[in-house]
Amino acid sequence: MKVALERDWCIGAGNCALTAPAVFDQDPDDAVVVLLDESPPETERAAVEQAIGRCPAAVIRLLS
Amino acid sequence: MLLPVPEEEVRPFDPPPVYAELRKGPQVVRVACPTGIDAWLVSDYAGVREVLGDGRRFSTRPGQAAHVLSGFGAGDGEPVEGSFAQTDGPEHIRIRRNFAPQVSHARRLAELRPMVERITDEAITRMLASPQPYLLHSQFSTAITTAVIAELIGVPPDRHHLLHDAATALFTTSTKPGELRTALEPLWRYLYELIATRRARPGDDVLSRMIELSADSDRPLTDAELTAMNGALLIAGFDTTASMITYGLVCLWNTPGQWERLCAEPGLAVTATEELVRYLAAGTGLLRQAVEDTQVHGQPIRAGDYVVVALQSGNRDPGLHADGDTFDVARKPGPHLGFGHGAHACVGQQIARLELTAVLRALARRVPALHPAVPLEQLEWKKDSVVRGPVELPVRWS
Repeated sequence: MKVALERDWCIGAGNCALTAPAVFDQDPDDAVVVLLDESPPETERAAVEQAIGRCPAAVIRLLS
Repeated sequence: MLLPVPEEEVRPFDPPPVYAELRKGPQVVRVACPTGIDAWLVSDYAGVREVLGDGRRFSTRPGQAAHVLSGFGAGDGEPVEGSFAQTDGPEHIRIRRNFAPQVSHARRLAELRPMVERITDEAITRMLASPQPYLLHSQFSTAITTAVIAELIGVPPDRHHLLHDAATALFTTSTKPGELRTALEPLWRYLYELIATRRARPGDDVLSRMIELSADSDRPLTDAELTAMNGALLIAGFDTTASMITYGLVCLWNTPGQWERLCAEPGLAVTATEELVRYLAAGTGLLRQAVEDTQVHGQPIRAGDYVVVALQSGNRDPGLHADGDTFDVARKPGPHLGFGHGAHACVGQQIARLELTAVLRALARRVPALHPAVPLEQLEWKKDSVVRGPVELPVRWS
């Protein structure tokens, strides 16, 4: 599994960090998404898919 | 056709039945709105998500509720400087990123939780020491959400009435253009003074942190921007959440077995919160304006056309949940449109979740015998507001 971000359009809603905290964090200065693991283990797939669905700005993509 | 509007006295928790028909197609139809504009109405989950998710095609410039709020005067006049809800693109993101660390950063939310829980507990203790019936909406729901948002921004209790007056004017459908600015002026003037005070003597509140954070950027926030942002946070931050607490409890009490389930397992407050926001999403919908000639579900939409997206209808789309018309306090949380979607999704959504969860959990633990003091059919519903729910909710406990 590979995860990619478009940080330019992130609005810092925080849903990803709350849904999949092992994969996503937020920058303390602007709350913009930070990718902790661009190739997370398969066990995180459901959480990452949830995060994608709950991201209002649609800036998270699953590449594989 | 006319824009279908909620009729809570007929069906307290559901959108008008016409939406179920519209979702089967055509999902995009022409409607006449209460404020006199015509718009395309989008009723299904995918369509709503498409419109809200694409700010490059669909602008928020006319104001998110100008189809139902006369005070916005859709299409006339320029938005006030810093009114981020009517700004699109990179400029909107710049403003929003000054907000986000204060209200939607996971670590910040963890810091705020004790404050929200303390205010909730104090409100319950106050209620339990009061005579019955107790007016839950004004004395409990509104008191809690006002205290939280005011403490967040550092507005003292003797100024809370400014928020209430401003919210009344802003969310009331009969407020006329021109009246709105006059009605908001006292709060705006107070915030200007507060900003000057905080620039001189910073504290640990949201306003001081915003000033400090933006001072380091290449374009620090102006006083007008700070006023508009904090004013919006103060107004939208208490009324919407208070109404959801009150409306949510009525829904829990009137859906068989749901309140009992929550009381047996107060940890369900987390899923109950998400489900209430999904189920009771703003029935009046949100407004957008097409920037270019485009289409949704094959329906051509011309540049300049207004588009209304039906949030509550979208949330009931069988494509999202086969049993979407069922309220289930333990439903596994997933994507929904209750906080909107796209770049303008509710900026206070994490604070709202924090408050709703804290209130539901504490009530389920401390006052499981809480119940309405009047039958459902005797409740008066807010009619002239975009923030829906009961006008008041008398309650009892034993």
